[in-house]
Amino acid sequence: MEARLNPYKLVPSVMQGMIDLEGRVAGAGLEHSLLELIKMRVSQINGCAFCLHMHAADARKSGETENRLYLLNAWRESSYYTDRERAALGWAEALTLISQTKAPDADYAALKAQFSDKEQVIVTLAITTINAWNRIAIGFRSQHPHD
Amino acid sequence: MQARLDMFKANPAIMQGMLDLSAKIGESGLEHSLLELVKMRASQINGCANCIAMHAADARKHGETEMRLYLLSAWWESSLYTDRERAALAWTDALTKVGETQAPDSVYAQLSAQFTQAEQVALTLAITVINSWNRFAVGFRVQHAV
Repeated sequence: MEARLNPYKLVPSVMQGMIDLEGRVAGAGLEHSLLELIKMRVSQINGCAFCLHMHAADARKSGETENRLYLLNAWRESSYYTDRERAALGWAEALTLISQTKAPDADYAALKAQFSDKEQVIVTLAITTINAWNRIAIGFRSQHPHD
Repeated sequence: MQARLDMFKANPAIMQGMLDLSAKIGESGLEHSLLELVKMRASQINGCANCIAMHAADARKHGETEMRLYLLSAWWESSLYTDRERAALAWTDALTKVGETQAPDSVYAQLSAQFTQAEQVALTLAITVINSWNRFAVGFRVQHAV
């Protein structure tokens, strides 16, 4: 596998806009572990190896357990995740697969029960931003390091 | 239909980030008509009524024809779009449904034939940004003007 192009070299100003947006997500006050779970789950659905490699490493470095990462594909069936995490993961799936799901009331009700209005907007931006990174990385075949 | 919340009121700082990124795309030098087609097409796939209403109005205001908007759902069957537009629309379809398509070589080859590498990045960002807006608008049930 080889990268198709390097977007950072080609259009640094636009890519800086993406990095700035990611900075807003990171600085908005949500739990780091929750954000990593969202990024991992969305990257699983979209099939972004580059992003899975990055966020598995980040999550582990920040203290996430191996098993919570291994079972993430089947989070609905597992007792490893808190109600707040489950609400965020349900919303992440609903929005990532938006053309099929239409963001149903049941998922929104679960989100609303766990997150304030302000937090709902942050969770949503976290989901849309990792969706954007997935498309950039898959689209241009960004390659992860071999370790 | 009623909005679930007003995202601009609930978290203006976060939404400003989205507006800033959108503004950068607008300044990227890509043709306005092309960007509107891309925004319409992604919004069709994702089923975002608010976004379709907004961009249909924008496109028409800038001189887009009715017929090119009506046929956009079947763009690959129509001769109304240029080769450059077709390449952009194929890339839009591929990236919007990336979980299914994985952005295949055939579509990327078509893109490479019509767009410089810098343009490919700008176009890709335009596609990801409208995909983000679609998810915000559908997720929070943002209502279009009637």
